[in-house]
Amino acid sequence: MNNTYDVIIIGGGATGAGIARDCSMRGVKALLLERSDIATGATGRNHGLLHSGARYAVTDRESAEECIRENMILRRIAAHCVEETDGLFITLPEDGLEYQARFVEACRTAGIRADILDPEEARRLEPAANPALIGAVRVPDGAVDPFRLTSSNILDARAHGAEIRTYAEVRELLREQNRIVGVRVYDHLTHGEENYYAQVVVNAGGIWGHGIAAKAGIVVNMLPAKGALLIFGHRVNRMVLNRCRKPADADILVPGDTISLIGTTSSKIPFDQIDNMNITPDEVDILLREGEKLAPQLATTRILRAYAGVRPLVASDDDPSGRTVSRGIVLLDHATRDGMEGFITITGGKLMTYRLMAEWATDLICKKIGNPEKCRTAEIPLPGSTEKREEVEKKISRKPLAQRRSAISRHGDLATRIDSGDSLKNSLVCECEEVSIGEVEYAMEHLSVNNLVDLRRRTRIGMGTCQGELCACRAAGLMGRRDAVCARKAKADLVSFLNERWKGMQPIAWGDTLRESEYTTWIYESVCGLSDEKTAAK
Amino acid sequence: MRFDTVIIGGGLAGMACGIRLAEAGRRCAIISQGQSALHFSSGSFDLLGKMPDGSDVEDPLAGIAALERTDPGHPYAVMGAKRCEKYALAAPELLRAAGIPVSGDCRRNHFRITPMGRAKATWLTIDGYLTAEAPDRLPFRKVCIANVEGFLDFYPEFIAEEFRKYDIECTFASVNLPDLEQIRRNPSEMRSANIARVFDHERNLEALAAQVRDAAAACDALILPAIIGLNRNDSLEVLRAKIPTPLYLLPTLPPSIPGIRAQQALQHRFRALGGEYFLGDSVQHAEYGAGCVRAVFTANHGDISFEADHFVLASGSFFSRGLVATPDRIVEPVFGADTVYTPDRSQWYTLRFFDRQNYQAFGVRTDAALHVVREGRAIGNLYGAGAGLAGFHPVQEGCGAGVSLLSAFYVADEILNSKWP
Amino acid sequence: MNTQQNTVSENNFEQCIKCTVCTVYCPVAAVNPDYPGPKQAGPDGERLRLKRPDFFDAALKYCMNCKRCEVACPSNVRIGDIIQAARIKYGPQRNTSPRNFVLANTDLVGTLATPFAPIVNTAVALKPVRLVMDKVMGIDHRRIFPKYAHGTFTSWYRKHAAAAQEAFPRQVSYFHGCYVNYNNPQLGKDLIRIMNALGYGVRLLDREKCCGVALISNGLYKQARRQAETNLASIRTAVNDRKMDVITTSSTCTFTLRDEYPHLLELRNEDVRDHIELATRYLYRLLQKNRGRLKFKDTTPLRVAYHTPCHMEKMGWAYYSIELLRMIPGVEVIVLDSQCCGIAGTYGFKKENYRTSQAVGEPLFRQIEASDADLVATDCETCKWQIEMSTSKRCEHPLSILASRLA
Repeated sequence: MNNTYDVIIIGGGATGAGIARDCSMRGVKALLLERSDIATGATGRNHGLLHSGARYAVTDRESAEECIRENMILRRIAAHCVEETDGLFITLPEDGLEYQARFVEACRTAGIRADILDPEEARRLEPAANPALIGAVRVPDGAVDPFRLTSSNILDARAHGAEIRTYAEVRELLREQNRIVGVRVYDHLTHGEENYYAQVVVNAGGIWGHGIAAKAGIVVNMLPAKGALLIFGHRVNRMVLNRCRKPADADILVPGDTISLIGTTSSKIPFDQIDNMNITPDEVDILLREGEKLAPQLATTRILRAYAGVRPLVASDDDPSGRTVSRGIVLLDHATRDGMEGFITITGGKLMTYRLMAEWATDLICKKIGNPEKCRTAEIPLPGSTEKREEVEKKISRKPLAQRRSAISRHGDLATRIDSGDSLKNSLVCECEEVSIGEVEYAMEHLSVNNLVDLRRRTRIGMGTCQGELCACRAAGLMGRRDAVCARKAKADLVSFLNERWKGMQPIAWGDTLRESEYTTWIYESVCGLSDEKTAAK
Repeated sequence: MRFDTVIIGGGLAGMACGIRLAEAGRRCAIISQGQSALHFSSGSFDLLGKMPDGSDVEDPLAGIAALERTDPGHPYAVMGAKRCEKYALAAPELLRAAGIPVSGDCRRNHFRITPMGRAKATWLTIDGYLTAEAPDRLPFRKVCIANVEGFLDFYPEFIAEEFRKYDIECTFASVNLPDLEQIRRNPSEMRSANIARVFDHERNLEALAAQVRDAAAACDALILPAIIGLNRNDSLEVLRAKIPTPLYLLPTLPPSIPGIRAQQALQHRFRALGGEYFLGDSVQHAEYGAGCVRAVFTANHGDISFEADHFVLASGSFFSRGLVATPDRIVEPVFGADTVYTPDRSQWYTLRFFDRQNYQAFGVRTDAALHVVREGRAIGNLYGAGAGLAGFHPVQEGCGAGVSLLSAFYVADEILNSKWP
Repeated sequence: MNTQQNTVSENNFEQCIKCTVCTVYCPVAAVNPDYPGPKQAGPDGERLRLKRPDFFDAALKYCMNCKRCEVACPSNVRIGDIIQAARIKYGPQRNTSPRNFVLANTDLVGTLATPFAPIVNTAVALKPVRLVMDKVMGIDHRRIFPKYAHGTFTSWYRKHAAAAQEAFPRQVSYFHGCYVNYNNPQLGKDLIRIMNALGYGVRLLDREKCCGVALISNGLYKQARRQAETNLASIRTAVNDRKMDVITTSSTCTFTLRDEYPHLLELRNEDVRDHIELATRYLYRLLQKNRGRLKFKDTTPLRVAYHTPCHMEKMGWAYYSIELLRMIPGVEVIVLDSQCCGIAGTYGFKKENYRTSQAVGEPLFRQIEASDADLVATDCETCKWQIEMSTSKRCEHPLSILASRLA
């Protein structure tokens, strides 16, 4: 087995996936290692907001300019991951209109289109917005699906020759004098260890990058800031809603696919808590209280779940809230910074700028290994975004309407690869999100799915109102039908999946969510007789 | 409208209570907000499968006697082991008289086999469904597990995986028919009830037998998902007559055919005894007089109230909204009865889904005679029965159906023996 | 503090917890695979339509609006309303099919037909005519149109009844509906006879239009709303100014006036809703309160099988009609299992729905044939047609049965 590459990328978030794509498109032989599944860190745990940059226009012009440039690029190259909703920055009576003028001015300076709307017009455009608003500015915000975006980068990287390994955790950085030459990896699937070698190792581990750098004895001073969000049961707003004021808690409401998301809170947490993202009742209260100011109907909309991510901010001062820290991209060449050759860290930034971060990192990699190729990721569309929606619709017209539209939302033109040859393949596994057997099979075969939770990230299975009540079992059944080993694993998987869903429901388990949970308990624990080894052991 | 007793809730508890009273000649009305949780039944009725500490129960009556000492808040303890025994002995007859053929022994649990192939201790199982005296004592060494092609709510491989632990050889068979192709045209409606409708037709039932017969010929048993007999009673007999291999059914994911059948059977029995069954209505408020409930008012009947001597609150737990959880309290919405719960929401659950969740034991406060307590005072002619009672974990302890049936019997007796009015 | 205190989502579809009970009781999904079923068409589909309106599926037209899903739902989800409201909100806004126009405009067609009733009745019963209607209009040739009366109920009332009714000490308003007016004036006369026997005079509304149920199901929403506004204005005059309750003899008209107006046409009626009710319920109330007694003459034994129409099931009021029938000396009541007859107003008349319609009704027809009843009784006119078209039994309104046995 040849374990040698030009570059090893640690981290399967959007940035890592973006680097893998960029490298492989430039002919750099890349290996991406992810300790879990793709997009499981901060990439998949944020708003999914396609920032226009307006939010940073007043406080951080550089970030704002990066955002609007990348915003326009993503609309082009990742059309199937993006919803062009536009956004409103609304001013409530308690905010006062003073900020609006500064805001609009700053947006324009940064090159972000910002149109002041008459309050009446704003209410008409976005009926969900708080009708008490006294001002509104329209900006080119939108929604971006981080799972699709990452998955699409991975697909393209692989198509260009990159190797992608998920559930492969870097345990050690292999060092020869003052050079990192490779990594020692523990494979969570096979439980084996393996060494891989490369000229350059890239640390793209987000907040976990702190620990990765530490393995080389290098300190990257990061500030873990937890941000909690709530998912509402359906799409409440058409446009992204922001408060037109200095950024604060819970002031962004993003419509994404079938749901809406409010967030975030912000609290500094210690490093030993970054894998322990439990939501407190206080966080739920803040999100609801502030969210209702943006869109009053949130008060009477069912909440599906709560979750949190950790921002990988690089500390520049000691503001405990983590908000005034620069969100700019940080690219560290540890050769010049720390005298450690063959090792770089890319961090800071945000989902919006993942491509730019990847470009910077890849430029540095190429410089180090003497590759003269230029970056083309801003021009060449990602897989799934190469054809117009209408064309794709025509090609898969045999699929029932709702399934067809949902599949195109999720996979763009790759939806044509989903087997819809007969009624069997069109049978629904997940009824809330219209996921068919054909789509599940496609995901299992082509999108590196190892378990039900991975499947959820690729297909939205279990992300609907019932949070996996019927589809979890059906999907487990599909995964387990090959042989006995699969069946055993699928059952264990089903338990993990239910635990994972419950983790997000538990902070908001009252009303209909508690009804749903009780019902799910009846089905899985009583009717099916499933049990959790870890619970039983207690 | 005037009745002897008005029962709120048409699930297992409400229905059993109504039938008991109607059998004794009382004129009863049942008001049910939609179909009940019986629609998700496993085809078995549990009495007591595990003690609150998680230990297995072999003899449910002995377990109940132990509960009376250790767990005084448990509905079984409230009713007392003696009366629990009396009702546990009488309950199967009520089910059988309604046309639900059940077998089992309240002194010894047997095991039902779940759609995942697991064995779970239970009390009564509907005839025809696979059971075993012990998890490792299944009545076959080589079994054929059949399924309908494209039916996603039943997975033979999951069942086989469990059976193989006991060295049972498993083979599979798949069934398909033109009429099933018809249902499959609809991407979501390949559900147990719709499939069962197909097999209610004689020719399809025969075709089913023909398709699985040969596949099962070399086996000592054949297993089918519960997808037969939605609107007829003889489906299993017909199949058994045509297939020489012993045939057993296993429940599926919802909707549950045995559950729907049981619900319909109980409803027919109740109506045949002169009961009035009001489906799709909800009680909105009550009128009181002299410390008792005088009448209840519903959404459908507006100003025409339901007057009665006695009222039974059998409206279930959270699912059927007999209990409603807000972020900081548990409410009983019809009477505003007192409820038993911990005020701090963080104490309602734990992080793991299959843990014993405290919320599941929340419920309506009752006194020793199961009178519902409101504002600290027991209401003399209002009783609580079924899943809405406090103090038990229906799923973990495997006692949901038992508490429903026994409390229904208990309340019916209290009403029949009451001096009121 | 956070306001999610009452916890009930105002978005009714979000109360659905995917328990699948509705799918068991949908009569259409059971026989027509082209219909997505109540769960998919209703709450699940609504969530997708809120994401993007182009998720609207034209197959929602197969919903018969029987509301049996709602009756079965343990979560109080107004599934049928969600589906019908989606048709109004997202579906085709103009309905150009002449067939649907004719079927929906019961008032217009009735007005045109009644003066020529003998000719029209003979003509539409002729096979060649039915074949032409089938081919040209898409009205199934196996359907027999209800016969038109020669002269409307209202013209009879004005000529022969109006004056006498004013003399009664107590008064009630009667929403007669299209069926009584154009097809079966006798039922209206029966009602008058019964109410008079109890000391009540029966008055007509100032202006009555078809309740609009057929307009709604055929996509003529604007017209439905206009007619509803006319009806509500007349009802308000009766209830508020004249202090009269409004009764009807059709379960579907009652249901439409009380519930479909606010839920589907978004017309508020809570000020008068409680004063609109079914005649059998009104009578039940009078007799319970001992406001008068009915004397019977004919007490010959009669076995009557009562069929619960879908909208009656939804209102939960079958009890009153059944109790009234039970009160009639000599009448033995068999209550049929409550299940849809399959006609659903104009739905079953359409060629494309004929098979679905008959397949839906099949279990009911079998039960009726096996019931050994002399007569079927029901409160819905279209159920009556379907039962008479599809079984060997005659079907009558409970009040006609009652009136025929009065002293």
